[in-house]
Amino acid sequence: MTRSRSAGVGLIGPASVLILAGFLAPTVIMAMLSLRDYSGMHGIGTDWTLSNYIDVLGDWFYMEIVLRTLALGLVVTVLCLVVGFPLALFILRVGPRMQTVAILLVIFPLLCNIVVRSFGWMVLLSPRGVINDALLNIGLISEPLDLMYNLTGVIIGLVQIYLPFMVLLLVPALQNIPADVEAAALTLRSSRARVFFTITVPLASPGIITGSILVFVLSISALVTPRMLGGPTYRVMATQIYDEFMTNLNWPSGAALAFVLTFIALALIWAANRVAAHLTRGISA
Amino acid sequence: MKRFLTVTTAVAALVAGGQSAQAKDLVVGMFGGSFGKAAQTCHIAPFETASGDTVVVQEGSSSQFAAMVRATGGDSDFDVVYIDNSFAAQLAAEGLLQALDKSKLSHAGELVDGAFGAEDHFVQYQWGATAIAYNPADYPTPPDSWADVFTAAASGKVALPDIAGTAGVHFLIAAALLNGGSIDNLDPGFEAIAKIAPEVKAYYTQADQIISMFERGEISIAPWYPDRAAAAGDAGVPVAIAYPKEGAVGIKVTMVIPEGAGNTDGAYAYIDNALSADVQKCFAENMYAGPVNKDVKLEGAAAKAVPPEMFGKLYFPDPEKIAANVGDWRQRWQREVTK
Repeated sequence: MTRSRSAGVGLIGPASVLILAGFLAPTVIMAMLSLRDYSGMHGIGTDWTLSNYIDVLGDWFYMEIVLRTLALGLVVTVLCLVVGFPLALFILRVGPRMQTVAILLVIFPLLCNIVVRSFGWMVLLSPRGVINDALLNIGLISEPLDLMYNLTGVIIGLVQIYLPFMVLLLVPALQNIPADVEAAALTLRSSRARVFFTITVPLASPGIITGSILVFVLSISALVTPRMLGGPTYRVMATQIYDEFMTNLNWPSGAALAFVLTFIALALIWAANRVAAHLTRGISA
Repeated sequence: MKRFLTVTTAVAALVAGGQSAQAKDLVVGMFGGSFGKAAQTCHIAPFETASGDTVVVQEGSSSQFAAMVRATGGDSDFDVVYIDNSFAAQLAAEGLLQALDKSKLSHAGELVDGAFGAEDHFVQYQWGATAIAYNPADYPTPPDSWADVFTAAASGKVALPDIAGTAGVHFLIAAALLNGGSIDNLDPGFEAIAKIAPEVKAYYTQADQIISMFERGEISIAPWYPDRAAAAGDAGVPVAIAYPKEGAVGIKVTMVIPEGAGNTDGAYAYIDNALSADVQKCFAENMYAGPVNKDVKLEGAAAKAVPPEMFGKLYFPDPEKIAANVGDWRQRWQREVTK
């Protein structure tokens, strides 16, 4: 072994050990757990079985939860993109002082615990909360709106919580677009809308795709916000996994659900990367 | 001034360090909120004074403790855990609890029948119940039957416990009994609850979630716990408790010593203290916890919330049947009731 090679091994060694011991080993243990049988009063058995997976994949009750989770992730991602894109453009094109303020405002919510932020939304959205009270007082509505303990509440909460991630990934992507390209298109009398859709958006697509993947994966695995704003009986994958582990004590079933969620996420990331590779041919990220 | 502060902190650190080196720690898993405060007064303070040990409290729910005890697989960090008897039965069946040695518990002979679990893996220190909480303003005559919960559903002012918690399991059993079923045949219970499910205002998973609903007048009746209702009533919430004539469903809250506990002697002393008549009375008066020591005489508010004469009329479901089947019941509940 040459000296530089051994130095290389020494350098990647700590990280490899950390990943093997801290990530791979627990995952393997969970995978084995998901293949065990379980019954109340006997606990986790010693027989190998696929029944935990069959129960999840062959049951419309669970498939509904899976579909609800994916739909939730999709809606949150699209909304984050729609709200985040103009914000990222604003941050990029505003004066330096305002830019600092805007970036700070985007980052600031990240410093606050997610439970506190979700609780803040409960204060705002509850039937007698700030929003409903204000609307009732000015006479816009006569009955409180159902803003919480349903899909609406979960979407509002998740969009606010994950918007910073989208914006922070879009800003550098937009920064990479040379200003000359847009200027050239405008000189050639292209309309602003056309410039936006045929120049800005395609050139920003690496950032759009990374941001979307991140927000999507975070949304489908979010536990606290769906539990708090969706209410005790609102079910997505993450809450169902938590309940299997912590309430039913059926760890094999919870582990199987967790792996189904992981595989869905991996498949979607893989697909998105393929699409991204196709779209961004020739664009350096 | 700065120097003075440094010296005092150093001395304080030395003293604190010296103390913890001599006395032992006792790690106790218990419930939080008002329960934790009452336990601090009645259970922890007298124990610490008598033994010199330091109690380290970890707060959680029965199911969380069960998950933690299982996760450490027979080498638990806890010395004593407060836990509902169905979870205790589950852990005992998995071999994760020590069988209690009654000779080390001086008050064991003063307890009600059935306080010790099968093979003495857990000891009940408190009885509670799932009964009917109602708003006195909406009920000039207090409700007296589980049937009143069902008839009130049409008004849209009923909250039900979700099956994630003890009250939900008990209400399901009560509904089955009311409609001719039993713990072995819950079909009538599921049918009755599924029928009113569309009109139910809300399901709660944590006991105190319905306090604000009573406060805002959103609900007028709900299956709930007498101890919580009495405490909420003291705080000015418009809620009172009624024991249904069919019999409320009894709750046995137990203490267990997990396998692998580091301070077993301390654990026995802690549990024995909690079972003594004085401490039982203290806990009943502070927390409206039904006493299990037969020498305790209650009066006033505590006697009204957890009447000793009611204890014999409670229906205590078999914890092993619950532990064995509750997973299936929860699945069915999610499909038929809270879908």
